[in-house]
Amino acid sequence: MLARFFSLAALVLTLGTLASCTDVVQVELPEPESQLAVEGNITDQPGPYEIRLTRTGAYFDDKTPLAVRGAELTISDSQGATEILRETAPGVYQTSSLRGRIGNQYTLTIKADGQEYRAATEIKRVPEIDRFEQQHKVNEPGWRDGYYVLYNGPELPGVGDYYRFKLYQNDTLRNNPDELIVRDDALVDGKYIGDVELSDRPFRIGDRARVEILSLPKDYFFFLNEMFTQINNVGMFSSPPANVRTNIVNVNPNGPKAVGYFAGTAVRSATVTITP
Amino acid sequence: MKPSIHWGLTAGLLLTAAPSWSQTLPEASQRATLSGYLRDGATGEALVGASVFVKALGLGTNTDENGYYQLQLPKGTHTITYLIIGYEPQEVKINLGADATRSVKLSATRVQTQEVVVQGQRAEDNVRKPEMSVNKLDMKTVKLMPALLGEVDVVRSIQLLPGVTTVGEGASGFNVRGGGVDQNLILMDEMPVYNVSHLFGLFSAFNPDAVQDMKLYKGGIPAQYGGRLSSLLDVRLRDGHTAERASVNGGIGLISSRLAVEAPLIKDRTSVVLAGRRSYGDLFLKLVPDQKDNQAYFYDLSVKVNHKFSSRDQLQLTGYRGRDVFNFSNVFKNNWGNTGGTARWTHQFSPRLFGNFTGVAAQYDYALGVPNGTQAFEWTSSVRNYTGKADLNFQLNANNTISGGVSGTRYRFNPATVKPLSAESIFVELKVDDQQAGEYAAYIDNEQTLSPRLQVQYGLRLSVFDFLGTGKTIYDYQGETGQRKDPLNPRTPKDGEVVKRYANLEPRASMRFTLDENSSLKASYNRTAQYIHLISNTTAASPLDVWSPSTNNIRPERADQVALGYFRNFLDNGYEASVEVFGKTMDNQIDYVNGANTLLNKNLEGELLYGQGRAYGAEFFVKKNQGPLTGWVSYTLSRSERQIDGINRGEWYANKYDKTHNLSVVSMYQVGKRLTVSGNFSYSTGVATTFPNARFSYEGLVVPVVSGDARNNYRVPAYHRLDLGATLKNRTVEGRRWQSEWVFSVYNVYSRRNAYGIYFRQNEDDPRKTEAVRLSVFGSMLPSVSYNFNF
Repeated sequence: MLARFFSLAALVLTLGTLASCTDVVQVELPEPESQLAVEGNITDQPGPYEIRLTRTGAYFDDKTPLAVRGAELTISDSQGATEILRETAPGVYQTSSLRGRIGNQYTLTIKADGQEYRAATEIKRVPEIDRFEQQHKVNEPGWRDGYYVLYNGPELPGVGDYYRFKLYQNDTLRNNPDELIVRDDALVDGKYIGDVELSDRPFRIGDRARVEILSLPKDYFFFLNEMFTQINNVGMFSSPPANVRTNIVNVNPNGPKAVGYFAGTAVRSATVTITP
Repeated sequence: MKPSIHWGLTAGLLLTAAPSWSQTLPEASQRATLSGYLRDGATGEALVGASVFVKALGLGTNTDENGYYQLQLPKGTHTITYLIIGYEPQEVKINLGADATRSVKLSATRVQTQEVVVQGQRAEDNVRKPEMSVNKLDMKTVKLMPALLGEVDVVRSIQLLPGVTTVGEGASGFNVRGGGVDQNLILMDEMPVYNVSHLFGLFSAFNPDAVQDMKLYKGGIPAQYGGRLSSLLDVRLRDGHTAERASVNGGIGLISSRLAVEAPLIKDRTSVVLAGRRSYGDLFLKLVPDQKDNQAYFYDLSVKVNHKFSSRDQLQLTGYRGRDVFNFSNVFKNNWGNTGGTARWTHQFSPRLFGNFTGVAAQYDYALGVPNGTQAFEWTSSVRNYTGKADLNFQLNANNTISGGVSGTRYRFNPATVKPLSAESIFVELKVDDQQAGEYAAYIDNEQTLSPRLQVQYGLRLSVFDFLGTGKTIYDYQGETGQRKDPLNPRTPKDGEVVKRYANLEPRASMRFTLDENSSLKASYNRTAQYIHLISNTTAASPLDVWSPSTNNIRPERADQVALGYFRNFLDNGYEASVEVFGKTMDNQIDYVNGANTLLNKNLEGELLYGQGRAYGAEFFVKKNQGPLTGWVSYTLSRSERQIDGINRGEWYANKYDKTHNLSVVSMYQVGKRLTVSGNFSYSTGVATTFPNARFSYEGLVVPVVSGDARNNYRVPAYHRLDLGATLKNRTVEGRRWQSEWVFSVYNVYSRRNAYGIYFRQNEDDPRKTEAVRLSVFGSMLPSVSYNFNF
């Protein structure tokens, strides 16, 4: 809603002045310290689950990030199960038998480069998707003509649920920076989420459109929300660039800090094939 | 005789407010007070800052903002001289046996030249008055300056004064001596203006045809005013004619059209000024097929009525409403603006005592929403205040003028109310609870002449703030320093119950020490307290930002400022110059945790961080007042920093609006009787900004990393810009009142792409690539033409 407001503000400013512009400029940045970056999820769907370890790189360096190999990773859950992960590709570590469940808590332990990190998360409840259907919009103000998808499903009663919506087009995640959709339920608590377009980018006839709703722990919601802000932080109403949070904590408080997130989510999905 | 008396006499017409030449005054019983009003003989408008003096005695004073003067004289016969630039001086012989009243009307000099209007005050005030850190701008001057897209703009002109910066062109508001945009008390005829912008900050909320003049106090703020830390911007609207007949001003520009009517309702008693302005961008939108359902415009409307009951009683009523409206078809609607009004009664109790009694109501509110469909909702927010105050001014004797007063304000805040608009709406009602508060103040202030060379003004303001319950739950907040805090200790104070009381004693003092006829030293100190705060975590304040009172968690902001200055006039007051240095400390400054959510947040106070600020600098100012070429050069060297636990590792960092160098050159040149050309040049250090230097990938998206949690560790490139303007008056036809002029302006003449900011993002086509982009609000030259008329 707010993002929409500010993009409208930008539009108005552009219309108003016809003179504002953006262009790419060269900026010299100092060499950063390299940090451990963690990316990984555990879900309520069957595994294996993957954790990726890399090193942060210089901001303008677009090479594949350096993989962190030979690390020791363990995930344990609140029911006493523990599993050591196996490195299946450089920097990619997999579980084999562990199964995520709604309501459980999980702790990831990483021993890498002589440091030990821990990350805690949980898997929260998720509502079911009722219907996922297409809608053909023609001459609708504010929309390009085309095929859109509508989400229909209940929201669970009780404030404190957080969600991410992922939209796939032919099994490819729509993953532009502004397509990271995270929401809390403060404004919609317990209501039926009916006929909501999740994207203003139309689909084509024949496309397979899939939606996933992911439940998020509160702190992970903040992580994704902060990330959304930082990767879309352009314009008059941008906020000061700041590091997004992480739940990867060095056991030694004076040791090097890591970035990234290990998150538990529950996932529901629905698919529709666009027809004329 | 002391030398000062000597030069006071020989300076003749340039004599100033000078109870200082008072050693020869006889005992009180031998004296009487002469008082009265000075008015424009044709229009009845009060003449502010005029000199009233007795040449033979070297005694004099200035008229105040109502055109009122009072002068203590020995009983006997005197010749009183009334003098103000732009008017024929008048001498009146009077036999003063007891306190007496004498109001005088002056007629404007026949050819009222443009070059004398740079200031409403007299040049020598620069040197003679104890006040410092004050800049006054006359609207006539502002109108001659080149204007962005032809919109004459009060706020933009203020940004050309020493000590004033902004986070970027097009950003709402201004920053004074290292203070935030919410630290300026902006009064329009005593009514606080919460948001000074139209169109997100591109234009200001003040209609140029309604404004008479404005005065910016950056320091030495009189004890009469309080409630904001950094400055007072006193905007006075036009009073209007009480004589003659109605007159009409208007203008047609690229962005908006204006119309103002001034009329005497009752001759010599009542006047009214009605001024309106509306932009018409949306009328052009109608011509574009896919934009025809959209609306985007702003308007403002002001009305001011003056009524003189008698020579001792006067009533002034002001009303204002400004609005920005954006409707995107039926998909999205949004509007915001200020509304308010003032009623002020001025009463003269005796020739030496008069009072102002003022009632004010002011509101800022916005609404946005989606009118139809399953996502239909309306979101509203507002801040409102009602204020009553009484101010008295008493001339105790020739050496002391005492003012004092009390005020009380009641605030009501509605941070956010969201309502679903249809049964099938996916939204529930969400209300961030209302808040209310009371702010009370009492002050006393004396302007005292200690010797011919030394004049002081000193005062004390006591301010008290009550954060009041509304019958809703409030919390304390606890957590790690620098992190988001969690609510605890819920409790529900009754409606109107005092939850938390704050009180501050705010001393104010300034002094002027005369060095010689043309120069003086001045010094000032002031403490200020601020109890309401704009909660805004964006670079530029947005129209959706909310104001918050000080609460049980948010403490009042406080500032202490000292300033020293050297003031000198040259060439028979043809030039005024000043150098001021200032230092300021601020505490309880508000900042935000990373990723703070400042809107629709019931636990907003958990997102706030508190710390301290400091600012210091030197301001150089030279103004040319006379001749065909007028204008000023202003240069400021300054630093503005803050230290907040939780930001920048707890170390000091530069404020966004910190600009080491800030230069403005403003010039106007009268080429002939009809043509005036003008040019403005600005140069300033680029604003402070944060650059990331590392990145990692998370689920296919590139996330920037700022090593060491730095804040404002870089500068955008320096800002500079040249604007040119020309005003061409059309020939007037003998016997016709119709006058008109064309105003041409070119903004950003050499099309510099000044960086508003530099941002970091993924490349749109190759998401692995990252790039730095520069945003320029105005990337090219912007010419404009307007047509103004009056009759």
